[in-house]
Amino acid sequence: MPSKSIKLLFPPISPAADGTLYEQIVSGVKRAIGDGKMKPGEALPSFRQLAEEMLVSVITVKRAYDELEREGIIFRRQGLGTFVAEGGGDRSRELKIEHARTLLKTAAREAAEAGLKPPDVRRLFLETLNEQP
Amino acid sequence: MNTPPALEVSALEKHYPRFALGPLDLIVPSGSIYGLIGPNGAGKTTLIDQIFGMGSPDAGTIRVCGLDHEHDEVAVKSCAAYVGPDLSFVAWGKITNAIRFTRGFRPTWDDAYCARLMRDFGISANDRIGTLSFGGRTKLALLLALAWHPQVLVLDEPTTGIDAHTKKAVFVELLGIVRDEARTVFISSHQLSDLERFADHVGVLHKGRLVAEGATGELVERHLQAEWEAENAGAFAHVPGLTLQEHEGPRWRGVLDTMTCPLESLQRRGARDVRTQALTLEELFLALTK
Repeated sequence: MPSKSIKLLFPPISPAADGTLYEQIVSGVKRAIGDGKMKPGEALPSFRQLAEEMLVSVITVKRAYDELEREGIIFRRQGLGTFVAEGGGDRSRELKIEHARTLLKTAAREAAEAGLKPPDVRRLFLETLNEQP
Repeated sequence: MNTPPALEVSALEKHYPRFALGPLDLIVPSGSIYGLIGPNGAGKTTLIDQIFGMGSPDAGTIRVCGLDHEHDEVAVKSCAAYVGPDLSFVAWGKITNAIRFTRGFRPTWDDAYCARLMRDFGISANDRIGTLSFGGRTKLALLLALAWHPQVLVLDEPTTGIDAHTKKAVFVELLGIVRDEARTVFISSHQLSDLERFADHVGVLHKGRLVAEGATGELVERHLQAEWEAENAGAFAHVPGLTLQEHEGPRWRGVLDTMTCPLESLQRRGARDVRTQALTLEELFLALTK
């Protein structure tokens, strides 16, 4: 079991945040791994333990872990628990880049539908970047 | 290890002059929180009464932890606890008396846990039960049921009238209970956003029948709110998995269960410009129980 407090390791789950509850857990775990707060080989809390900490149903956590396992970010060892995969951090970052690319494609399509030309889109993107804190 | 389901209702029927429950089949796996939802009068309390042997069913069986609810009534009652709005402890005077009484016939009563729950729920032993608010009485009922570690906890509207802090404390306890995979919570409630967050499975009861059931997230996600246009009015009546909500001229609105009624099946029936969006559990509930 991880010795550090789970409470502050992952962001709180809220219906007011983006995404469904299980998606929030997926992105919270990815962020903790991507930021290096959890290292390869390190144990994740059990479903039931995390459910209790995050105040969500066990099935929600299980679903999030299933998805993280499918993406190769964590792995399960029967009877031992769930662990951060070797290269889980890189994998987590790659997936984020992939996701960002998809979102940018959507943005480009929406802008084109609104009649913006490529130079306008570029300017819009740079403006948006500069607004980021 | 082969654990029997915490609750197994098979072909249950109970008929009253103005209401019929069932035929009802329902399985609550051990180690989970199961939320039963339904409009007032859907049969939730009737079902719970049946589980605890208040009146015999007209047909079917109920098994709690593998035990028959009538044949093994005593064993069932020593592994399952009930908390409901109709419990009254006023006759005991002070809270401490109600605790002493319950403790007397529950061999697994846990004093330390009871003391912690009293702190977390903000109730004190010397309070008079008669002076408690509705929420205060609910908290006492929860305390008396939790403190002996029942294997199955059946809660009928447990969070009505309690404040947000206590409600959070209650759900912390419930999630703590199912941390032990052998213990189970069956909860009937109108607080749909709470169940959406805390329940592993939900079942929707409507007019005595279970109209939808599944893992909470999956049940919500497999349903879609759909809007479409179509001229052929007859094509959308009585389609399995489709609940029609509005219809005006060529414009239609309904909720689809994409497992039984995929989008293509709407299009095959002549739907054009189909637009869909996700639903919350509350919106799904409203659509299915109208």
